[in-house]
Amino acid sequence: MGLDILFKIAGVGILVSVFHTALKQAGKEDMAHLCTLAGFTIVLLWVVQLLGRLFNTVQDVFKLF
Amino acid sequence: MEIIQIIGLCFVVTLLILIIKQQRPEIALQLSLALATIIFLLVLNKISVVLQLFRDMAEKANISQMYLNTILKIIGIAYVTEFGAQVCRDAGEGTVAGKIEFAGKVMVMVMAIPIIALVLDTIVRLIP
Repeated sequence: MGLDILFKIAGVGILVSVFHTALKQAGKEDMAHLCTLAGFTIVLLWVVQLLGRLFNTVQDVFKLF
Repeated sequence: MEIIQIIGLCFVVTLLILIIKQQRPEIALQLSLALATIIFLLVLNKISVVLQLFRDMAEKANISQMYLNTILKIIGIAYVTEFGAQVCRDAGEGTVAGKIEFAGKVMVMVMAIPIIALVLDTIVRLIP
């Protein structure tokens, strides 16, 4: 039931924080920020799809039209 | 024993959030949002069975579908509102959560208007 998405999000979070630190150490501040933004956007896409599914299910179950 | 699975999942996700929160608070928030969504999806499947039972019982008791549907809609609105407000409060945005709750209250009131009107109508008819 889509539990893997949680671990995907956690993985992206850890990876992004590592990349951010590495790029910052290398003196590439702007690239570090872009990396953070990219990770955030990917995760946001997943979460929004999940939320859409939730709201559709709520509408079906409670007959909210 | 799905509750054990859910508790285990919550523990694992809590630890992951603790790890991520120090570096990337925004992704930690999205993680908790995804967890809440998945748990609600799991629970909603159970709720739909109970609601189906309620509908059958209401049909047997000859209660108009309108009342039951209104109550169900109100429950649904309350449920979604609570969900949204919780997420906002998790992120430390208490004011946004307050706005969501306000909107939810207004929506519930609007949903209840037909029933209130019906009750008032009945009372007026009872008074000679």
